[in-house]
Amino acid sequence: MKEIARERRLLNIWIVRASVMLCLGFIATGLTLYFVHGGHIPIPPAGSLAHILYGIVTGAAVWHAEAFLDAGLLILLLTPMVRLLAGVYVSLRMRDALYAGIGLIVVALVVIGLLAGQSGI
Amino acid sequence: MTPVVTVLLVLCGGLAGGFIGALTGLGGGMVIVPLLTLAFHLPVPEAVGISLFGVMATSIGAAPRFVGTGLNNMRVGLFLQIAASSGALTGAIIAHRLSARFLFVLFGIVLAYSAIMSFAPKHSDSGGADADSLLARRLRLASRYRQNGEWIDYHVTAVIPGFLVMLLAGLLSALLGIGSGAFKVLAMDRLMRLPFRVSTATSNFMIGVTAATSAGYYLSHGDVSPVLAGAVILGVLAGAYTGGHLVKVLPVKALRSLFGAVLLLVALQMLLKGVFNI
Repeated sequence: MKEIARERRLLNIWIVRASVMLCLGFIATGLTLYFVHGGHIPIPPAGSLAHILYGIVTGAAVWHAEAFLDAGLLILLLTPMVRLLAGVYVSLRMRDALYAGIGLIVVALVVIGLLAGQSGI
Repeated sequence: MTPVVTVLLVLCGGLAGGFIGALTGLGGGMVIVPLLTLAFHLPVPEAVGISLFGVMATSIGAAPRFVGTGLNNMRVGLFLQIAASSGALTGAIIAHRLSARFLFVLFGIVLAYSAIMSFAPKHSDSGGADADSLLARRLRLASRYRQNGEWIDYHVTAVIPGFLVMLLAGLLSALLGIGSGAFKVLAMDRLMRLPFRVSTATSNFMIGVTAATSAGYYLSHGDVSPVLAGAVILGVLAGAYTGGHLVKVLPVKALRSLFGAVLLLVALQMLLKGVFNI
């Protein structure tokens, strides 16, 4: 049990550190490109996660500032979800079905938020 | 004003928000939303969506201080998160149907309350519960933490009232673009009688998840400008980092009073904007 608790701590530390580094890296790159290109402030279109991901891949290939900024935002948005999923995994390893279930309910609420926004509810 | 100057000013606003947040204990959202709406005349949903990314950044930026300390009560956090995320989802959906003037008034009231609470003494433990309530026992919410080499056991009570306050905290977070940390600590510290350090650490984790629930809605709804949100995130993180380090050398008590008074004035301005559209 102690080993699993240690694993949970390490997993959380790793997720948080990696997320902060990646998010800051992408946003700093995006803002630098924005200032270098002396850009404008675009009105963001409503879009699905797939749409945003497609924009990131195609935009990053041509060093488009918004693609890097979107990537930073997405990493920040997904970090709490990844931490929750890590918690669910650890709960399952501890055979704690109640808290694995509660964790999944919370993940579902975050996903519903994303889907509800794009469908304009 | 050129777009580049606007982005630079928003970056500075984020910096100020993070700095003031670190000194007063209030989240950056309390500064970002008034800045974006009153100074840059952004529509409320856009300002709220951008601010929520600043809130998430603050929560994740502060996480290394709490992760691995054993203070975070994951069971309490996860159970209450059902309420906070449900409130956040509801708030994000109804925010687009409420009038901007109503949101200005609501923000003014919540900001005034939070500014007044920032004058209250910190680390006021409400005294632990003597025993677990029936629901807390069923959910196995009691836990322990280590302090000065000793294990300290604690009990949990008033789970349903705490759950309801979290629902409200999530709703306000999504409507106003704030972390609602003051309400989360109120629920866990005062109502559920968790030790202050445990409620602070647990609340930090919850603020990030609550903000993610509504920020996802705002992002996919098309309310979040990646350029302005990026500037806010960088500013807030840098401000919180600087404030966190300078807290040891600056006259914090005097600054807290000064910023508290400034935030009260901002609250008044938000109320005036809401009531008289000034």
